[in-house]
Amino acid sequence: VSEFSRLEFLRGTLDVLILKALVWGPLHGYAITNLIRRQSDDALVLEEGTLYPALWRLESKGLLASEWGLSENNRKAKFYSLTTAGRRHLREEVKTWEAYAAAVAKVLGATQPPLREELG
Amino acid sequence: MKPTPIWRRLDRLFGSDRVSDVRDELRFHIEARTDDLIAQGWKPDAARMEAERGFGDLLAVQRIGERLGGKMDRRKRMKDYWGDAARDLRYAIRMLSRSPGFALVAIVTLALGIGANTAIFSAIDAVLFRPLPVVDQQHLVIFSWSARHDPKFWGQSDYGDCGEAYHCSVSVPFFQALHAQNSAFSGVAAFAGPLEVDFSGNGPASIARGEYVSGDYFSMLGVKTLMGRALGPADDNPTAPAAIVLNDGYWRRAFGGDRSVLGRAVRLNGVEAVIVGVAQPGFKHLTPGKSLDFFMPLSLANRVRSEWWGTKDRLADPSTFWVVIVGRLKPGVSIAQAQASSTALFRSQVVGNSLFSENDAPALTLVPIQQALSGESGTIAPMLSVIMAAVGFVLLIACANVAGLILARSARRQKEMAMRQALGAGHARIVRQLLTESVLLSLAGGGLGIIFAWLGVRAMTKMVESGFGEPFSFVIEPDMRVLAFTLAVTLVTGILSGLAPTLRGSRSDLTRSLRENVSSIPSGDGGQRIRFGDALVVLQVALSIVVLVGAGLLVRTLLNLQAINPGFDTQNLLLFGINPTMAGYKDQQMMHLYSELQQRFASLPGVVSAAYSDETLLSGGYSADEVHLDGAPPKTNVNTDVLTVGPNFFSAMRIPLLAGRAFNSADFSSGEETNAMVKAADEAAAKAPAGSGAHVAAAQAKSSAPVAPVPVLINETFAHKFFATQNPIGMHMGDAENDDPRVGLQPGYRIVGVTGDTKYRDLKRGIRPTIYTPLVGGHAYFELRTTGDPTALVNAVRNVVVSADSRLPIFDVRTQTEQIARTHFQERLLSRLSSFFAVVATVLACIGLYGLLSYEVAMRTRELGIRMALGAQKRHLMKLVFRHGMFLSLAGLALGMGGAFAVTRFMASMLFNVGANDPATFAAVAALLVLVAMAACGIPALRAVRVDPLVAIRSE
Repeated sequence: VSEFSRLEFLRGTLDVLILKALVWGPLHGYAITNLIRRQSDDALVLEEGTLYPALWRLESKGLLASEWGLSENNRKAKFYSLTTAGRRHLREEVKTWEAYAAAVAKVLGATQPPLREELG
Repeated sequence: MKPTPIWRRLDRLFGSDRVSDVRDELRFHIEARTDDLIAQGWKPDAARMEAERGFGDLLAVQRIGERLGGKMDRRKRMKDYWGDAARDLRYAIRMLSRSPGFALVAIVTLALGIGANTAIFSAIDAVLFRPLPVVDQQHLVIFSWSARHDPKFWGQSDYGDCGEAYHCSVSVPFFQALHAQNSAFSGVAAFAGPLEVDFSGNGPASIARGEYVSGDYFSMLGVKTLMGRALGPADDNPTAPAAIVLNDGYWRRAFGGDRSVLGRAVRLNGVEAVIVGVAQPGFKHLTPGKSLDFFMPLSLANRVRSEWWGTKDRLADPSTFWVVIVGRLKPGVSIAQAQASSTALFRSQVVGNSLFSENDAPALTLVPIQQALSGESGTIAPMLSVIMAAVGFVLLIACANVAGLILARSARRQKEMAMRQALGAGHARIVRQLLTESVLLSLAGGGLGIIFAWLGVRAMTKMVESGFGEPFSFVIEPDMRVLAFTLAVTLVTGILSGLAPTLRGSRSDLTRSLRENVSSIPSGDGGQRIRFGDALVVLQVALSIVVLVGAGLLVRTLLNLQAINPGFDTQNLLLFGINPTMAGYKDQQMMHLYSELQQRFASLPGVVSAAYSDETLLSGGYSADEVHLDGAPPKTNVNTDVLTVGPNFFSAMRIPLLAGRAFNSADFSSGEETNAMVKAADEAAAKAPAGSGAHVAAAQAKSSAPVAPVPVLINETFAHKFFATQNPIGMHMGDAENDDPRVGLQPGYRIVGVTGDTKYRDLKRGIRPTIYTPLVGGHAYFELRTTGDPTALVNAVRNVVVSADSRLPIFDVRTQTEQIARTHFQERLLSRLSSFFAVVATVLACIGLYGLLSYEVAMRTRELGIRMALGAQKRHLMKLVFRHGMFLSLAGLALGMGGAFAVTRFMASMLFNVGANDPATFAAVAALLVLVAMAACGIPALRAVRVDPLVAIRSE
């Protein structure tokens, strides 16, 4: 993985990625990092330190719930899962994100300047 | 996620631990990463370092986690708490509405306690502790003088502003001197009054009370006006046009709040004055409890005068002490400094005027205003404190009552508690739930109590007003601090009584409770609780006994007063006052007016006879004088009450004549003649140079024209006391003999008759030797003996007076019985209020007793049923319940009697003809309580025997 392929996370993007990562079931923090990395084909690499404050923030907002459990190799780990509010929030964020991405793509993919009168 | 092993579950047994949670979570991350790296072929140490490096600032993240965690914990706790509280509240409401009788009694009991206490404390606060309605009163002082002797040649009058410990009246010249050089004060002002004046120019003439104030009064005290201007320094000038400022209440009452009164001219005792302002609402008088109708400038004092003032120049005479000075200390000046400088000034003045010598040590004391001006509160305070004691007991009883009810109830709910505990409710949860219930009760009681307090304050104000016959001058409002205090007391009671049984109740042995139906066998724990309930009932009975005895003594006092024979016929007698001196009448004109009025009143239909005198009987006022009995050593006088009366007084009042004769017309003309000569001699003496020839002139007058002694009647007591062995008719008595060199004429008295004894000042005061002298001048009160309701004649009387002279107002219109009621208002109010509270106290104690026994019967329903099924006598079962109740009542009775014996002596000064430990009252109260207690015990006892054995055994 080259340094160049690491994308900086836009503000707010991390939250929606975490929520998305938990759609398939409860995960502990380390698994969330791995999931995001693998699902983005190693394009998105979290700075691990920033993950936990984001998790806790989401938990305190009631978007995530947490529970202590055992990891695959029998270590005590804290598992996070989506709450109903979290699921609803994810749907809205995905919509916003897609609209945003489409708008950015439209601008970046433009082949000619807009017409003059449309500028006004 | 794998299932958690059991030991892991115990990990957080004692609640969450955020700090170690965060640490554990982060440690897991690092370890997992390290494992992965090792699996990829890293060396363990390097893997660990790489994992930590990749993570970033581990400690910073940990700190963020701890902070966020703490916040979340708090939020969760709050949420849980309020969620539980809402559940508790719903449950409490459901439980209370299931036993509405209990809830209602508890709430009304608390409300009565809170309401009565708030009302009474508010009244006491208004009378005793309310701050004066002025700016920065802590810097205000009153000037009180002292000396080893009374000053020579002085006249003193006061208007009841100061407490008895102070001499607050000083002369106007001293006030002016102080005003001119008041280095220690930022201001001084003088006031005196209120003085009753004839106020005309606003409809028919009426009597209004005017207060003299110096020009600085308003500005110095910081009293504002509602409209117009205040009186100012310009009004101190005797040549300034006379201006007055109306009291706000008087303006509304007498002028209907008309804003056009400014600039209107009125006449005060015939002197024209202009209304220039209306004072700020809420300011009545500096002295609490006094009220006035308007303020007038001190400079008017020589033009608007009182009948009693004689001929002295009130503004210039240094020996007439009559105004009160209030001063505001300059910032940084101590009372001691100000006192020293003003004493020096006072001393130089009074010694310079030879009122005192240096040896008399005349001095001034500066007294903080609230301490000096006690006014009316001195007479009302003791009365209120008795009532306060009564309501204090009522509050205690109310609290004990509610505590007892809650206790009894919780005893019955033991099974429910055990059930809830069995279902997993924690100790704290059960306590909280029961607490919610008692706090809810207390708050509901408090809410109703606020309404009671408000009603109580209104009722009290009305009662006092009807008693005094004039607007109550203390402003009583339900006091928020008092309300908060009583609410707190009842809330604490609710909490404690809710807490006491629950602490025990929630610890109860739950299997036994469930299995054995503890409710049917009061033993062990339950028995203890009942004993505590017993103690509360005994306390209630004891307290109610104390209140009952107090009330009984006050009722006896009132009955004793009412049983007194006043010595004259008090029925069908109309009284009213008239004062022609205010309209400028001279003595002789007045006598003509009075005899004309007397004839016209007597000829009114419904009037039997008419008479007049300078005081009415049983008004609370009286005059007294000293006479010198013939044959007694020189300068030894006897004190006697004096009542000055007009013709036909004795027959109209139906006072029997025991010997001699009543006054005839010759007596009145002789009295008038003597009076005229005495007055002329006095005036001559006053015109002579001060001090020099007064007694010489008097002596000359005496020698030149012998004066006839004043004809008098004496009462029986006088005759018995001073003429035990002689026939008093025709005997002579001399005027008082003393050291005063300014003696005028000494005509003495000649006794013409002896009358039966009458009460004079009021019913309480013993009958004293009294002489009746002919009325030959001054104001008069008329007494009309009527055939029917005296008040029906008021309009006819007014018409007669107006047709004689429209400038003459009549005042103090009342019947003799109303007057007696007013004079003995304190006794009536006390006996009425204390009876009310005694009834409340007794009812509460009975409710407590009844409630306790009822619960006991209810709890023992099954036991009673079994006993009956086994053939127990109904009478025996009744006795079982009844005896317990009566035992409690008698214990309370004994305790209460002891308590009453100890405390009633504090009210001895309010009693009349009954000892503070009057055995009859104590016995009557005891009998009453036993009767009431028997009723309260009898009903639950009857219910006990009506238990159907079959139903009772199956019921649980």
